[in-house]
Amino acid sequence: MLTKIIGDRVYDFSHVVGGRNEVMGPVSLAPGFDGDMFAVITRIDRTCDVARFKVGNMAGEEEVISRMGERGESPGQFMWPSGIALDPESNVYVTDAWTDRVSVFSRDGDFLRMFGEPGNDSGQFQRPSGIAMDADGDLLVVDTHNHRVQKLTTDGRYISEWGVRGSREGEFDSPWGITTDADGFIYVADHKNHRIQKFDAGGEFVFAFGSHGSGNYELDHPSDVAVDPDGDIYVCDWANHRVQAYDSDCNYLTTFVGDAQDLSKWQIEYVRSNPDVYKARRRVYSLEPEWRFALPTAVAFDALNSRIMVADTQRWRIQIYNKLLDYSDPQFNI
Amino acid sequence: MANEDLSLMAHLMRRAGFGATREELEERLAKGYEETVEELLRPDEQEPVDIYEFLRYYQFQWKPGTAGGQGQTGWVWRMVNTDAPLQEKMCLFWHQIFATGVSKVDHYDEITDMIDLFREKGLGKYRDLLVEVARNPAMLFWLDNHENHATAVNENWGRELLELFTMGVGNYTEEDVYECSRAFTGWTMTPKLPRFHMGRWDWYFEFKEDDHDYGEKDFLGHKGNFDGEDVIDIVLAHPATAQFIARHLYSFFVADEVQVPAWQVTPPRDPEAVEVIANALTESDFDMSHALRVLFNSDFFKEARFTKVKNPTEVVVGTVRMAGGVELPGPEIFDWASHITYMGQELLNPPSVEGWHSGVEWVNSGTLMKRANFVSDMMGDLERPGVRDIVERVKDAGASPESVVRACLELLGEVEVKDETMSELVSHAEIEGDLAWDEANETDSARRVSEMLQLIVATREYQFA
Repeated sequence: MLTKIIGDRVYDFSHVVGGRNEVMGPVSLAPGFDGDMFAVITRIDRTCDVARFKVGNMAGEEEVISRMGERGESPGQFMWPSGIALDPESNVYVTDAWTDRVSVFSRDGDFLRMFGEPGNDSGQFQRPSGIAMDADGDLLVVDTHNHRVQKLTTDGRYISEWGVRGSREGEFDSPWGITTDADGFIYVADHKNHRIQKFDAGGEFVFAFGSHGSGNYELDHPSDVAVDPDGDIYVCDWANHRVQAYDSDCNYLTTFVGDAQDLSKWQIEYVRSNPDVYKARRRVYSLEPEWRFALPTAVAFDALNSRIMVADTQRWRIQIYNKLLDYSDPQFNI
Repeated sequence: MANEDLSLMAHLMRRAGFGATREELEERLAKGYEETVEELLRPDEQEPVDIYEFLRYYQFQWKPGTAGGQGQTGWVWRMVNTDAPLQEKMCLFWHQIFATGVSKVDHYDEITDMIDLFREKGLGKYRDLLVEVARNPAMLFWLDNHENHATAVNENWGRELLELFTMGVGNYTEEDVYECSRAFTGWTMTPKLPRFHMGRWDWYFEFKEDDHDYGEKDFLGHKGNFDGEDVIDIVLAHPATAQFIARHLYSFFVADEVQVPAWQVTPPRDPEAVEVIANALTESDFDMSHALRVLFNSDFFKEARFTKVKNPTEVVVGTVRMAGGVELPGPEIFDWASHITYMGQELLNPPSVEGWHSGVEWVNSGTLMKRANFVSDMMGDLERPGVRDIVERVKDAGASPESVVRACLELLGEVEVKDETMSELVSHAEIEGDLAWDEANETDSARRVSEMLQLIVATREYQFA
């Protein structure tokens, strides 16, 4: 169903932004402060960059504004861009899991600086991935194969860290995505422990939920997590091809499996300009497989517009669900 | 610890796996040969490779695009990291027989699904595997069974089922091919969503009742309203099938045979061994694990050391596993997959329905250089933990050039070389005299050991498994 009503919460599928040339392989998302979206884009040919684009409120309004970075190991380039975050000035921070560094761009795409190097000392990384900004304006970088989170200033100066490899409270196994909530708490997708962990601003463990599986309260290699202003938690349940929603007390709310029943503007252009593609879509028994997520990698909550953005990586698109604050149910027997 | 035991274990691991480090050989030797065979036959007891570790960094390898020719990389990653090497080796064995290729199928993911099928059922009953292969979309498309209709029979799959997958040429007639094909009419797959606007989609097997020939068939002396599974049962009951699969097993695991098309005119290299394997298949209802247990514990296997030319996958995967440092995926994985291709074995894209010609045909002046250069580069890299481990172990072997050469040969998997080769290796080692491992000389001695490893892996003898 396109509209989900769970208690007093209403989620309504909005639209999809996607296309092989514009949004192939989105792996991380950062909603901008002015309604723009920043996305790390990877492609089949292993090229990559960051796209800044307008998402709009309905299909057809999407528009690429600019692109920044490219594949490579020189300054301003990245090999395996993995996470993205913005500071209040909309400078863009991108982790690179291959070069073990963070690259910083202006919102217009000018390369500003970079920091980090391979290693396991303070300020060094082994395959950094998720990145977020905390309430103090410092960066939280998921240092995946050091199995820790590092807190750094925006110019890369080490502040603190927590986490070691393990499965007990506060330990990690190859963590990936990270986010913060309105109260300064920190959430980490503890990827190979198949759980989400919550910490206070100082890195003290608060709670964890999730175990390996495909049912409710179960996760399979979660890759990202987002929290909305109400405290609801959205988990990108990567290998289960879904996003799960939990309330702030970890009670299960619902599951999103993808609802892209309509094509995006760019997808429509592609299909209409390729007769074989057009005809092949009409030959299949059902188009429903097209609606669904395929290994979605990232989830973000766009608080400005009250909507969930899901990086539907293998389907070269972003699926968008509104969290409606003023929903009125239609007459039931209409 | 007798070197003969280590040598035998190294032989087993080269054939039933991709070779083994000294540490692994010693661990396995402590368990014993027969128990190691049993452990290899129980892959489910091993921790599976976490393919998500690979996909995390190479997401587009989930359903790889055709362009670039590197959709096999995920499988190479599995082979390099598996703790159940025989399971992957059997995938390679079946891929050689059920040789579907992306050159026609055009979807790597459909062929990797087939490799997954080999991983799941490759050590089980051959009937179960064969039925699933007959329903596999990559195979259906590869051999045109989606164009095999009740009113217009296409014989491609039916012919290869008899010629390449079960009995071999000479055991059936053209009429049998036609009747066999009739039994598989209506075995097809669902239409596929197009790939270009949002990535790749799966095919699914579909049986179309209204396209199946329900008439009586006259097949190999049997009459009835057979469907595909009935035909498979009939061919598996034919004695030629056990002989044919046994010869494949012999050629892949024991010693190089002539190429398959010559089997109808050239008797097996060791008919008694093939008979033993065939009997094991027959008595176990084609249980592949049982047949392999008999094979690996046989004298003819144990005595067949260095009688097979390593195939390119064995060269690359074996070397990478030996050199180590590959726990996390890096861009070099694509190079490994490419090197296998450069050496003449483009995985997931065999040259024809016959698969690859093996044995000495793996080697020509070009591929031999590729082999030597790749293995030499890897074993010359002192940053690799496996190479460093060998250097550490060589330290205990003595300082004389000859003792160092012998240690290197042993640590590379009990490699046996001719006297002439041995003499050349020792002569080279003697140029710089004895090795010393004090602080002043350690780096230079490590270099010399590494050079010796490079020389050994470039020898003729090292090309044999």
